[in-house]
Amino acid sequence: MILLAFNVAGFIGRFHPVLVHMPVGILMLAALFIALSVYDRFKSLKVAITISLVTGMVSAVASCVTGFLLSKTDSYESTLLFKHQWYAIAVAIVSAIVLYLHLKNRETRWGAGLMVLLVMITGHLGGSITHGSDFLTKAFSSGGGGSDPFGKPIPNVQETVAYTAIIKPILDSKCLSCHGPNKQKGRLRLDDPSFILKGGEDGAAVIAGKPLESALMKRILLSRENKDHMPPPEKPQLTKQDIDLLNWWISTGANFDRKVKELEQSDKIKSILKSLESEKAVEEIPLSDVPEQPVEKGSEEAIQKLKERGIAVVPIAQNSNYLSANFVAVEGFNPKDLQLLEPVKKQLIWLKLGNMAVTDDALESLGKLSNLRMLHLQKTKITDQGLPQLIKIQELKFMNLGGTNVSAKGVEQLKGLKNLRQLYLYQTSISAEELNNLKKLFPKVEIEAGGYQVPALDGDTTVLKGPITK
Amino acid sequence: MSDNHNESFRLHSPEFNQLNRKLDRRNFLTKTSLGLGALALGSLIGNRVLGKVSGVVTNDLATATLEEEILRAIPHFAPKAKRVVYLFMSGGPSQFETFDYKPKLAGMFGQPLPDSVRQGQRLTAMSANQSIFPVVPSAYKFSQYGQSQTWISELLPHTAQVVDDLCIIKSIHSEAINHDPAITFFQTGTQLPGRPSIGSWVSYGLGSDNKNLPTFIVLVSKNGVKDQPLYARLWGNGFLPSEHQGVQFRAGKDPVLFLDNPEGYDGKDRKEMLDYLSKLNTMQNEPYGDPEVQARISQYEMAYRMQTSVPEVMDTSSEPDEVFELYGPDSRDPGTYAANCILARKLLEKDVKFVQLYHQGWDHHGGLPAGIKKQCKDTDQATAALVKDLKRRGLLEDTLVIWGGEFGRTVYSQGKLQPNDYGRDHHPRCFTMWMAGAGVKPGISYGETDDFSYNVVKNPVHVHDFQATLMHLLGVDHERLTFKFQGRRFRLTDVQGNVVRDILT
Repeated sequence: MILLAFNVAGFIGRFHPVLVHMPVGILMLAALFIALSVYDRFKSLKVAITISLVTGMVSAVASCVTGFLLSKTDSYESTLLFKHQWYAIAVAIVSAIVLYLHLKNRETRWGAGLMVLLVMITGHLGGSITHGSDFLTKAFSSGGGGSDPFGKPIPNVQETVAYTAIIKPILDSKCLSCHGPNKQKGRLRLDDPSFILKGGEDGAAVIAGKPLESALMKRILLSRENKDHMPPPEKPQLTKQDIDLLNWWISTGANFDRKVKELEQSDKIKSILKSLESEKAVEEIPLSDVPEQPVEKGSEEAIQKLKERGIAVVPIAQNSNYLSANFVAVEGFNPKDLQLLEPVKKQLIWLKLGNMAVTDDALESLGKLSNLRMLHLQKTKITDQGLPQLIKIQELKFMNLGGTNVSAKGVEQLKGLKNLRQLYLYQTSISAEELNNLKKLFPKVEIEAGGYQVPALDGDTTVLKGPITK
Repeated sequence: MSDNHNESFRLHSPEFNQLNRKLDRRNFLTKTSLGLGALALGSLIGNRVLGKVSGVVTNDLATATLEEEILRAIPHFAPKAKRVVYLFMSGGPSQFETFDYKPKLAGMFGQPLPDSVRQGQRLTAMSANQSIFPVVPSAYKFSQYGQSQTWISELLPHTAQVVDDLCIIKSIHSEAINHDPAITFFQTGTQLPGRPSIGSWVSYGLGSDNKNLPTFIVLVSKNGVKDQPLYARLWGNGFLPSEHQGVQFRAGKDPVLFLDNPEGYDGKDRKEMLDYLSKLNTMQNEPYGDPEVQARISQYEMAYRMQTSVPEVMDTSSEPDEVFELYGPDSRDPGTYAANCILARKLLEKDVKFVQLYHQGWDHHGGLPAGIKKQCKDTDQATAALVKDLKRRGLLEDTLVIWGGEFGRTVYSQGKLQPNDYGRDHHPRCFTMWMAGAGVKPGISYGETDDFSYNVVKNPVHVHDFQATLMHLLGVDHERLTFKFQGRRFRLTDVQGNVVRDILT
């Protein structure tokens, strides 16, 4: 009953965008009438004030209700929504108060003024929710710089002046659109040494030698959700490398004239600097557990079915549609259960099947789950025959085959998995020698097969050393 | 079995009938006319309460909605760690005899601690009145181990073997100087009792993949010296719904108290009984929406499922000898630290979210050389074995292992320094912990202390920073996991805590 009411409620909520404009217009008009009615020739507006206030108030209440229902149907930015909601409620209440005062023939001008103010704030907040908070100011911004400050490699980086060759390009590309010659947000300019030293309205931007006390670094290092974070979330962000370089420059004294080689360099900085000399970043980008590109939502129905079967299906993160599935609590596993996963094969990236009676035949349906990154098959009934099915899962990065009947020969078949980085073979029949061969065959893969020996330690008969004899 | 078993309720009192008649005329009118407004208002006031009143009424899995509501919101980002095992060394292990190598102290035996080091810092009442504070170096030798060439004491030969998997933090500092506030601070983020334990926060925020076992399980070693007490509130749920409290598993016949069926009852109709009870409870709760009723329902169901899952997971008889050898001789004796480590590994294999072990006996005010030697012997091998065992099973990849106490110990000897014996007082200003596994850089040492291990000189890590990092690894933004209680939103790290990004992979 109530569940149905809720769906209807969701439908009603969708009228919010239509309704909201009514209180904005009508209440503003009412306020105008109130202001004008001071003059004698507009005295006759009194009737219109009542009408406009009543309709305005009713439409404000209706907007509140629909807006509230709408907010439940989708996820909106919560702080903005919270403010918008309560300002809107304030509008409704204040308009009711103004109406009451008006009917009692009391002074309404102050109330009307407050009402106008609240309507404007509410409207602005509502607009920010739908169009984004930078909608208004977007027209002014110059678009921001490119994401890569170093377009070309810097030859002989050690001989260049650190500020001009490395730091300035970073600041130019990531900061200058708001803190440059055109615009100085917070009265801060970062396009010239003298301005950088001067800082902005909160004081110095850079404290030489103390990166973590420098406002510049502090703002950059704040989490992206923080309102003080720089650059603003919608602008191009500094990369890890940019941050490391800035940090290094400030900690070595934030000097504007010295050459790179005159500044102290840790190994990490050395390697970053070296990478600036060549065309491409030297560092191999580590494979991520989660795909970069977003995916559409998995079928609710399929997920529900999985849950009913006792399979824990959980989104891997808030606002991510990628899923992980865990069979750990499943009783009486049936190979057919794997077919339940197929409808969400695009979303499913982590799968745990440990201890389940998965057989080679069942691996065929597993092979269809082409987006899997992590697959746990330890203590299942699979053998060498089934492994070729898994080659189809090209994204696979982590695989646990511990406690299964696979042999070294069988594992060799996994050679086709280009992205495989971790392979667990504990409690398999693979010998130490075979393991060594496998490690050579899979140079990129970290293979772990246990076999730890308890070392013979003389620790059991430790005697006290030093001045103490016991 | 009587005939009315097919009826949904076997109860016919007037009060019950009134409760059972869900929609009479008056109710219908009230609910349809005022319903929408009430719905809106209810949700403005408290989302959770409303969920209870409306959606759940006829749902058998009454508790699922709350759980799923949270699951929908969290993790905030993809987690590196999917479970945690926290080896809590209760009492305050000395950093001098374990991880924090201070070679310069060797020549200073018995010399007074320079005032420039102590700088008038507070001491406990136990040593504040001492006329001198004689510096005492470690009685045990250190050597370098692993590729990382980390200095480790000879008391921890097994830990030394896994040092390349550990991230040793030498610059942890706490605010509390005595056991109870310090351990409460570590567990709950506040020195005063009453807040939820870390494991309870994790349970509340993330839930568990395995509905057959509790999300937060606690194991207390029986072989630790019981010098400082442990009490159930350390793993308590505080103001969170009570299904999030840690469940203690004991050694012996009855791992979880009161879980077995009473004698003479075969338990065959238990499920039916619980379903019926749950219906009654749900109906009774409908007008009130008290989360504790929901918690009670889910706890009954959990207890029922645990009747089969607990004996299964507690049974280590199928473990091969090789495993017992790895964990050391104690591991065959249920309830010891080593046996608990095996158990912890089994629980983690079952995807229990948060397992916390406690081992008491590190409070060495006197007789430290002998005392710490025994403590290390009782724990070292099993600790290292747990790391290795998790690693070879592919679990270390997404399991976070934490080792540490509530504070460290002083560089000076408490009481009279004797040629062959000394003690150390509590020292919260710097001490050592380590983390290993999921998302933590392996084989590094982080933070530095001065030559007396008295103050942190580089990269300090506050308890709140540690907690923030732990939550971060689990995919939770510690600033966003909150619970509203008594008009205020509370969180584990209160108003502090920074994620220590330097130690993350």
